[in-house]
Amino acid sequence: MSFGDILLQQVINGLSLGAMYALLALGFTLVYGIIELINFAHFNVFMMGSFFAMWVLQLLGVEGQSTVLTGWPLAGALILALAGTMLGSGVLGVVIERLALRPMRNVRGTAAMITTIGVSYILFNIILLTIGADTQNFPNPMPVVRWHLGGAVLDLREVLLWSASLVLMALLHLFVRHSRMGKAMQATAQDQEAARMMGVDVDRIVLLAFFIGSALAGAAGLVFGLYYNFTSFLIGYTAGLRAFTAAVLGGIGSIGGAVLGGFAIGLIESIGGQLLAVRWTDVIIFSILIAILVFRPTGLLGRMAPQKS
Amino acid sequence: MSRPVADQPLHRSWLGARLKPLALLLPAAARRRVAIGLATAAAVAFPLLVSDEGDIDAAANACAFAVLALGLNIVVGFAGLLDLGYAAFFAIGAYVYGMAASWQLTPPWSEAWQPLAWLGLVSRFHVEGVPDVVHFHVSFWLMLPVSALIAAGFGMLFGVPTLRLKGDYLAIVTLGFGEIVPIVARNTPSLTNGAMGLNGVIPPSLFGYSFGVESTPYYYLGLALVALLIFVSLRLQDSRIGRAWMAIREDEVAAGAMGINRTRLKLLAFGSGAAFAGATGTFYVAKLQTATPEMFMFPVSVMVLVMVVLGGMGSVWGVVLGAAILQLLQSWFLQDLSEWAHALGRLVGSAWLQDVQLAQSIELIFGVILVIMMLYRRQGLIPAGRRVRALDAREQAVAATRGGIGARLSLLDGEAGLPTGAPMLETRGLSRRYGGVRAVNGIDLTVPAHAIIGLIGPNGSGKTTFFNLVTGLDTPSGGQVLFLGADVTGLAPHLLVERGIARTFQNLRLFGNMTVLENVLVGVHARTRTGALGAVLRPPRVRAEEAEARDWALEVLAVFGNRLLPRLDHPAHSLSYANRRRLEIARALATRPRLLLLDEPTAGMNPAETLELADQIHSLREMGLTILLIEHKLDVVNDITDKVVVFDHGEKIAEGPAAVVRHNEDVIRAYLGRAAAAA
Repeated sequence: MSFGDILLQQVINGLSLGAMYALLALGFTLVYGIIELINFAHFNVFMMGSFFAMWVLQLLGVEGQSTVLTGWPLAGALILALAGTMLGSGVLGVVIERLALRPMRNVRGTAAMITTIGVSYILFNIILLTIGADTQNFPNPMPVVRWHLGGAVLDLREVLLWSASLVLMALLHLFVRHSRMGKAMQATAQDQEAARMMGVDVDRIVLLAFFIGSALAGAAGLVFGLYYNFTSFLIGYTAGLRAFTAAVLGGIGSIGGAVLGGFAIGLIESIGGQLLAVRWTDVIIFSILIAILVFRPTGLLGRMAPQKS
Repeated sequence: MSRPVADQPLHRSWLGARLKPLALLLPAAARRRVAIGLATAAAVAFPLLVSDEGDIDAAANACAFAVLALGLNIVVGFAGLLDLGYAAFFAIGAYVYGMAASWQLTPPWSEAWQPLAWLGLVSRFHVEGVPDVVHFHVSFWLMLPVSALIAAGFGMLFGVPTLRLKGDYLAIVTLGFGEIVPIVARNTPSLTNGAMGLNGVIPPSLFGYSFGVESTPYYYLGLALVALLIFVSLRLQDSRIGRAWMAIREDEVAAGAMGINRTRLKLLAFGSGAAFAGATGTFYVAKLQTATPEMFMFPVSVMVLVMVVLGGMGSVWGVVLGAAILQLLQSWFLQDLSEWAHALGRLVGSAWLQDVQLAQSIELIFGVILVIMMLYRRQGLIPAGRRVRALDAREQAVAATRGGIGARLSLLDGEAGLPTGAPMLETRGLSRRYGGVRAVNGIDLTVPAHAIIGLIGPNGSGKTTFFNLVTGLDTPSGGQVLFLGADVTGLAPHLLVERGIARTFQNLRLFGNMTVLENVLVGVHARTRTGALGAVLRPPRVRAEEAEARDWALEVLAVFGNRLLPRLDHPAHSLSYANRRRLEIARALATRPRLLLLDEPTAGMNPAETLELADQIHSLREMGLTILLIEHKLDVVNDITDKVVVFDHGEKIAEGPAAVVRHNEDVIRAYLGRAAAAA
């Protein structure tokens, strides 16, 4: 393979990772945009999402890598898995907000963030203690269809993942821009008090943000499983931190920024790992995180003032 | 966004209520001494009472984590800086000693190493057939402070760019740093032996006796470190430095405006926390004689945070208790519980119960502790705030005395350093734009010494922004501020306080969880010099300075007669609204200002209280102060000001004696609209 082919291959890989990070970053950004909370529970809502996806696929009779579907059955299985996962993780997000985070809404400082670390630990350990530490074989019903672009390979599943992610992002965009609830959401993000006085039910908006964000994290969990063919209780932390970096890079609070940041981090991970060494990828990504927060806390597209006092 | 409300007053402890009759037999101070004495005796006797080597080893580890928790408590509890990567400094301390006392680094021998060899830090190692190499075996006792210093150095280096970030961003940045350090350790095997970990780290030895692999000496060493840290924490907490940290934690902006150099004090907190983690790392690696990157990952940082949260952020004894409980849980209780569960499993025939490993569930417990504590008991098991007896009915009914006029305020000196003829404060073309909005536009203002100038104008006319520009909370877009004839434009707030400008805030920015006395003592910060070392060692100079600061604080509080003096130990958030206003003024006075800026000092006061305060403000001028005040109550303005300046839309529209200005057409129009001016 020539260098150009390797680069192209890494771009393809990077876009797939990027689609996943973007979906996950949207959850961080939605919640932060509205209640200025960095939600560590999101890491493991994503992890739980991948388990939900696995269980839905298993219910549909897809086992491991052996069941291959094509045509309508494939489309149906994937759509059902996506819908079931998003619903499950969305509800999980709502439960977390309602039980653990709403009481902390008006508490000063970092207490709410510390609570989300606790929730994240609880989710993580629920899976660890019930399912165990073993890596799970993630059911993948997709047939192997490949296109060769020079030396690089493009998989059907990658194209499917990209398009599913893009559709979800477009739907979110339409929802926030044009629906009544979406507009209320934007208003709440800008000024909670004013929105409340205009008759917006802020509690419902926050709940909605958690539902949508967590549902998208669930979708990212499905993407993760289909992309890597495994899932485990451990996957939340690394992917979550990378996606959070993506949200910060794009400008936390900005929906477009989260998508842009997600793809950027995906590409940095794949191309950076290729050019330098995979074991240094995390150092690169965390250095970006620190550098952005220190030098340009509004990120690429952010609108949020970085230092409210 | 709405401003978050301050924490509610602390709940009374459940246990405290039930133990009260017993506890009342002894006075509080004696009770504490007995409790501490008993705990110390139990801790010292522990290895003699327990024969199991494993238990002593677990206790030694508990000591290490207690030290970590106490160090993190300085950062998180005292200064309010959430550090999610604290384990990074633990790692740095561990690797520094690990590399300085093992076979990991063996550079070829050259004569340049000879001086170190004479000092006994390295030696020349000879193997047949290969060139001689250097063997590092630097003394543990030397490395203990050295690795503390190196970790502190890293802490400072990392802190300089990051500590100005707000709370949650800082948490994320520290988390990133906490991730990077172990990854770098894993990826640089030539220095750290990578994922395999350092091996054969030399154990400490004392007077020729090597600690080896026995647990007891490490336990006592750990216990000594814990004792040292408790001592340091308690001394710091009740000092100029500790109060400044707590002020930053409570309200960073107000802390700066009261003369605290925020950057320096945050760095100090971060650096001290890092130093203690570094020393603990050295202790821990010497005890284990190995170090791998996995020992210092995120879960370790979280575990230490859980200890702090469980015990009580900012509570020294609470944190020690938190560390002890979690270690007990981990080392003993969960093991036993697992065995009971296995027994139960065999009894009921449940396979899951038979091989459940509850020790694995420790992180689940961490998560539950974090959530429960945050939801139901944020102040922790042993709250840092002292409980204070409320004033009884008789004390509350005591007639208010006026104070003020009679008080001496001996140390105010409005004249010193003022060039003859120069005004106290002068602004030239002072402006502030936010995007297209001109909040303050080209203000020229002169405030002569000993004057009381009133600043009036409709809401949103730029009065408070003007105050922020003069006190350094906001940076002017144009123009100049001259104080005592010197250009002070754009100086940091604490530097302006040092020069003699103090202020109060319209929307009250007291340090709510600090006592009345502590709030005023924070005001003295800029006029005192005690550093961290002085605060810990308390030499006579520091004691004298502290006593003097307390005398001064009481003198300042006496300005308000018996309004605040009986409430010295009460947390500021428990005061009435009027008393909070008074406390803000007292806090500003404590900085020994020449120029005092009062932002709506009588807002929310009833007419009697307003008159009383106006009198007191007037008496401050008699004592040599120059006062600039924003005020909406026109009778106050008429009574006490020499001159009034009227703002509208960020511009000065009128200036002169109050009686004249109130008839000015522009002023009437600004307040009441065009029609009223025409009438």
